[in-house]
Amino acid sequence: MAFHLKMEKTTSTPYVLLDEEKKYMKLEGRSFHDGVMEFFEPINNWLESYLCTDFGTFVFDCGMDYFNSSTIKALFVIITKMDRASVGDNKVIVNWITTSDNEIIIECGEDFSEDVCNLEFNLVISE
Amino acid sequence: MNLNIPDYVKSLVDNKISVMYSGPVWADGIDGMAEMLQRRLDIDNLPLNASQSVFSVFVEQMSNILMYSAEKETFSELDNARDLSKGVFILGIKEESYFIYTGNLVGNKNADILKKRIDHLNTLDKKELRKFFRERTHAENDNPESKGAGLGLIEVARRASSKIEYNFEPQDDGMQYFTMYIEI
Repeated sequence: MAFHLKMEKTTSTPYVLLDEEKKYMKLEGRSFHDGVMEFFEPINNWLESYLCTDFGTFVFDCGMDYFNSSTIKALFVIITKMDRASVGDNKVIVNWITTSDNEIIIECGEDFSEDVCNLEFNLVISE
Repeated sequence: MNLNIPDYVKSLVDNKISVMYSGPVWADGIDGMAEMLQRRLDIDNLPLNASQSVFSVFVEQMSNILMYSAEKETFSELDNARDLSKGVFILGIKEESYFIYTGNLVGNKNADILKKRIDHLNTLDKKELRKFFRERTHAENDNPESKGAGLGLIEVARRASSKIEYNFEPQDDGMQYFTMYIEI
């Protein structure tokens, strides 16, 4: 059965959607819970094995409002994994969605876009 | 009753203090404080950058207190009895800018580490801080066990509008009381 993970957002943890059938992942909201590494563990575990398969094209929409430094570390781990897997017929597209006044998210997105080599990283900034 | 509340409140007002917390800090407790702080910032109607900077410094400093505070209190009535870190968070408004004080007890070893880290961060400008943060993120990636301790302080320095001020006050028990002052 295709993997499907959906978590509603809380004050300090984001909305998460992971849909293997649609080859799609989405994060929204805020992330600053002290246990951020544990929070992202199921996502990491699933991606770890999924990204080794012939998945085709996988899309990750990251539309967060705020995240803390530990979350940046967790996202970096995820995006690095996706970047390594984005070879041959496998392609990962990351859409980094934010607004023009969100300095923390924009700066992090700009840095990540320079860190990746293989995947398609789109900074989607609206007014 | 030794505490004169009206005088105490007046001293907070005179010192331009709008939010103050002193007590145990734990992960879920930070959520409640974060909601209260966010409402306070919404009322002030600041541009997103300013309110986000204040919020970010709050989050990172609370996590630093969680990690470094040497003052623990055991709360046995909680589901699983555990030691909670204790610390102080103070937010104030001075003219057009915000200021944040945080305080907690630290052991001598952590005091040395913190002092070195802040002194180093204070030599860097915004661009260099961003670069340093990025380098540390890359380094942390090779060390999955780390909770990203160093990153939080760099993030605080990135959001601050001036150098981080700090103080270590030696205590009787060989500990040091660590205070940080951040302007935004």
